[in-house]
Amino acid sequence: MVLVLALGDLHIPHRASDLPPKFKSMLVPGKIQHIICTGNLSIKEVHDYLKTVCPDLHIARGEYDEETRYPETKTLTIGQFKLGVCHGHQVIPWGDLDSLAMLQRQLDVDILVTGHTHQFTAYKHEAGVVINPGSATGSYSSITYDVNPSFVLMDIDGLRVVVYVYELIDGEVKVDKIDFKKTTGSNT
Amino acid sequence: MNFIIGAFKPACNVSITFSDGKSRKQVPLKNENGQTVTVPLFQSQETIAGKISVEPVSGKKVEHNGIKVELLGQIEMYFDRGNFYDFTSLVRELDVPGEIYERKTYPFEFSSVEMPYETYNGANVRLRYVLKVTVSRGYAGSIVEHQNFVVRNYTPPPSINNSIKMEVGIEDCLHIEFEYNKGKYHLKDVIVGKIYFLLVRIKLKNMDLEIRRRESTGSGANTHVETETLAKFELMDGAPVRGESIPIRLFLSPYELTPTYRNINNKFSVKYYLNLVLVDEEDRRYFKQQEITMYRLQETS
Amino acid sequence: MMISNGIEDEEKWLAEGMAGIQHNAFYLHRALDSNNLREALKYSALLLSELRTSRLSPHKYYELYMRAFDELRRLEMFFKDENRHGCSVVDLYELVQHAGNILPRLYLLCTVGSVYIKSKEAPAKDVLKDLVEMCRGVQHPIRGLFLRSYLAQISRDELPDIASEYESEGDTFMDAVEFVLQNFAEMNKLWVRMQHQGPLREREKLDKERNELRDLVGKNLHVLSQIEGVDLEIYRDTVLPRVLEQVVNCKDELAQYYLMDCIIQVFPDEYHLQTLETLLGACPQLQSAVDIKTVLSRLMERLSNYAASSPEVLPEFLQVEAFTKLSNAIGKVIEAQVDMPIVGAITLYVSLLTFTLHVHPDRLDYVDQVLGECVKKLSGKAKLQDSRVTKQVVALLSAPLEKYNDIVTALTLSNYPRVMDHLDAATNKVMAMVIIQSIMKNNTCVSTSDKVEVLFELIKGLIKDIEGTSTDELDEEDFKEEQNSVARLMHMLYNDDPEEMLKIINTVWKHIMAGGPKRLPFTVPPLVFSTLKLVRRLQVQDGDVAGEEVPATPKKIFQILNQIIEALSVVPSPELALRLYLQCAEAANDCDLEPVAYEFFTQAFVLYEEEVADSKAQVTAIHLIIGTLQRMNVFGIENRDTLTHKATGYSAKLLKKPDQCRAVYACSHLFWVDDQDGIKDGERVLLCLKRSLRIANAAQQMVNVTRGSSGPVTLFVEILNKYLYFFEKGSPQITGAAIQGLIELIKTEMQSDSTTSNPASDAFFASTLRYIRFQKQKGGVMGEKYDPIKL
Repeated sequence: MVLVLALGDLHIPHRASDLPPKFKSMLVPGKIQHIICTGNLSIKEVHDYLKTVCPDLHIARGEYDEETRYPETKTLTIGQFKLGVCHGHQVIPWGDLDSLAMLQRQLDVDILVTGHTHQFTAYKHEAGVVINPGSATGSYSSITYDVNPSFVLMDIDGLRVVVYVYELIDGEVKVDKIDFKKTTGSNT
Repeated sequence: MNFIIGAFKPACNVSITFSDGKSRKQVPLKNENGQTVTVPLFQSQETIAGKISVEPVSGKKVEHNGIKVELLGQIEMYFDRGNFYDFTSLVRELDVPGEIYERKTYPFEFSSVEMPYETYNGANVRLRYVLKVTVSRGYAGSIVEHQNFVVRNYTPPPSINNSIKMEVGIEDCLHIEFEYNKGKYHLKDVIVGKIYFLLVRIKLKNMDLEIRRRESTGSGANTHVETETLAKFELMDGAPVRGESIPIRLFLSPYELTPTYRNINNKFSVKYYLNLVLVDEEDRRYFKQQEITMYRLQETS
Repeated sequence: MMISNGIEDEEKWLAEGMAGIQHNAFYLHRALDSNNLREALKYSALLLSELRTSRLSPHKYYELYMRAFDELRRLEMFFKDENRHGCSVVDLYELVQHAGNILPRLYLLCTVGSVYIKSKEAPAKDVLKDLVEMCRGVQHPIRGLFLRSYLAQISRDELPDIASEYESEGDTFMDAVEFVLQNFAEMNKLWVRMQHQGPLREREKLDKERNELRDLVGKNLHVLSQIEGVDLEIYRDTVLPRVLEQVVNCKDELAQYYLMDCIIQVFPDEYHLQTLETLLGACPQLQSAVDIKTVLSRLMERLSNYAASSPEVLPEFLQVEAFTKLSNAIGKVIEAQVDMPIVGAITLYVSLLTFTLHVHPDRLDYVDQVLGECVKKLSGKAKLQDSRVTKQVVALLSAPLEKYNDIVTALTLSNYPRVMDHLDAATNKVMAMVIIQSIMKNNTCVSTSDKVEVLFELIKGLIKDIEGTSTDELDEEDFKEEQNSVARLMHMLYNDDPEEMLKIINTVWKHIMAGGPKRLPFTVPPLVFSTLKLVRRLQVQDGDVAGEEVPATPKKIFQILNQIIEALSVVPSPELALRLYLQCAEAANDCDLEPVAYEFFTQAFVLYEEEVADSKAQVTAIHLIIGTLQRMNVFGIENRDTLTHKATGYSAKLLKKPDQCRAVYACSHLFWVDDQDGIKDGERVLLCLKRSLRIANAAQQMVNVTRGSSGPVTLFVEILNKYLYFFEKGSPQITGAAIQGLIELIKTEMQSDSTTSNPASDAFFASTLRYIRFQKQKGGVMGEKYDPIKL
């Protein structure tokens, strides 16, 4: 069992002062094995903070990141799963599932994590999943109105992944769960 | 004379017993040989009575020219040792000349004897009381026996007994005020007092209270003075500052003191002094001596 | 000549003393075993004579004392048992006084005295009085202190306290108080006198040695505090005045400091509160070198804790007017101790502030008063340079923040900024950071422009360059951290009322404008987004506000936004400005303000053309432009054509062929918006895709030229996917045949590229084909649509 935290679009300090305290208290060091970040942190302090939560940190570059060395896309393998991450501003139209599906084919991944829209989404399609963890700070977006802070925790176990979505709604953390099972050999 | 007595076996034994010998208080006394013996204690105006027995040695007869007992009060100056000056001399004839064949006992009595001076063993002078029995014999030499006894005279507490209070000092250096609660102390008394420091500009180390005895013998140009420190009692340890008051409490009972003797038979005097000694860090001594009068108080118990 | 080592000598002397005690203890034990009083007294006096030494430091002397102390305990047991020595305790009390040396004599007297009290043959008070009086004979500081400490020790359990067995008629706890007070006074005198015991050059050593002995003196105060009978009244009327008399009169800084502290620590807080006037009254009378600030600080600390212990005690504080008394006392102390460094005064005020925050949290005027006193103390002085002082000032200013968890409260304190003005630039910044952190930690909302004004005045050290400070020494990292903090802070400035919010924005803008090109890249974005949030709120509200003069309209706000972003041109920071313009354009789009949106887009294009030079930056910028433009629906045909034309034009002019290719096929989405009213221009979509295909071909040929073999087919597969996209969306211009042709093209390319296979593009193609297969198998409309395509 591997826990992977996916989050992004924090936009600190441009659009938000910090992560919600409730999230911070949940993200304790030592529980999470990998972090996948869709970018727009935007500053080094946030990077350093994420490193304390989990040192295995994979970041794709957002258009506001001060660190220019983050890659546009990145793939990694966790257990039986191949994951890809991309901020998403490069994929036009923004947030469009069919376009993201093309990126998923291009990266040849089971799970594609993207951001930019500040709207949590998780789609199963064909043989994969496309997840957008939303904005962890619930920051302003030109695309989405009324953004709630959210992040995603993926529990990868064998061929199964359970996606937990944590969303802060009116000061309360709501959790949602989505199950996804990989059919063997679909990716060969 | 003693030498001769020792050389021959005496012809008889002479013994002196006091009539109240069993009940009378006995006190220690150092005799001529330096040995301490226990002797009865009397005071002036007491009657000294008893018995004297003369017993010839193993059946021999003793011829004598008479037997007498003397009560002598004597002062011996050590520069003139052996030469006793009798200030009191009382005689009782016990027997007329004759012969003694067996033990013979004579009662004697000196009633209400005037013994104004106390027995005293000093540095240069000795005052003693003695009963002297003499069996007079012509050619063979007299047989003499001595019995010492001690005389102590008691004084009632003085009606006036002022404290000793004095301020002394060395200008700009040390200024103290001391006070002893009385001027006259009995022998088992306690000296209570205090020393008040008015000014202290020297670094004192300690302070002692000494009791000193000053014995003067002879008179005029031949006066000889001997001073002895009988007690050295530490009153203070360390250096006081201005305003300190140091208590004095000195119990006199542990010390061998006598009453103050003033001009005893024009032969000697014994006086007592309290000597306050302050010692500074360089061992310089500062002292002030004050005479106190000692007297003997009748012991109640 | 050997130079003797002082420490070694001391060890030797101690060993000798110990041996002396050991030796005499042997005979003492023998005498005790055979119940021989005379011998016991003789050897105990000899044993105690070892304590007469002057050669040991207090530390070593203590060891010796403890050794003798143990023996005295045995002796005391012996004294207690009259059967063993046959001497009444009264006689014994005299007998031990025959000893010629004072120190052994007094130790023995104290020992017998303790037995005497226990025997109850004499009133405890008489014995105690005699002992404490007789001990005057020892005037040597160290020996005297230990002797009296012995007296205190052995008498502790025998004090005639209330309900103690030694309390009897005419023998009350007041005698115990008297006894302890007297012993304390004498011990203190001895202790103070210690400083005159050696040459001046050894002063430091002496002070150290004295410090080692202080608890012997302080112990008496502790004993006093333990006497049951000492209630508030006795404490107020007797104990405290007598102790203070000693403290003040001894005129010794070490003793005064220690004893004041001791008083504060050993007696109950309640007593302190009720005797504040007396206690504080002593403070200005102390020597000027006494660290009175620590003493008072401790007092206030204790009282603060006391106040915190229970709300029931608070009325007491009010009743005795604790704050006023403390405040006055501090004033007097500062006045009296002219040499007190500034740091001392400020430390005192910090303590007073902590006190009032604990005790009178509702009295903001007290807080301001304390700050005012500080301002007075600091006024006329140059900016503080001493780090100890600035540290205290920071503590002073931080205390209210910590207490109230609310900067807004601090903002109402008129003296707060005046204190800050006295800080040097660096510390001022530190303090500003503390303020910001406090706001963050407590999630405080600063909700009016007036408060924002005060706040920005407080943190001006971060907002702009302060005159006279060098900027060369600035640490880049620190500067970034500070500016990011300011940026974060902006999200805490908020009001639900748009009018007030706009005022806040204007206030912030006014302040950050002065920040210069270094700071603007940090401060402009948060202000822009904060403003955009306001725009969105107004847009959500009913926009029908015709007629009246309403300042907070989106249109006006967009003007402000334009100015704000334009300010970045001085930096310059074109990439950031471009992003912000695009954000504004989209917001204007949402507000249905076409000219405004067009203006923002124009600005973005100008920047793109003139300022964005880096090829990589260009790629990102063009994607953002296309992505934003794709979402715009406010434009009429003409404006839209102008902008899409520019976008496609710039896309085709990117430096690298693959980038050109990708940007151009991305532009295809500008002509096909997949919603109900969206534009659906299949012709132009096809044009874009064909154009991108041409570019991909050109790219492939370039690779052929340079490497002699075909390049990866990735671009073709990407375009294939775009074809599939529009095919599925139902664009009539995108046909199955075209897709079929593209697949064949890719296969051919891949075969010719046999030498260098590319796993990534192979996989991409494979998954694309798999997708087509998946769609074919799905059946239904989509399945039918895909049916003609053969793989």
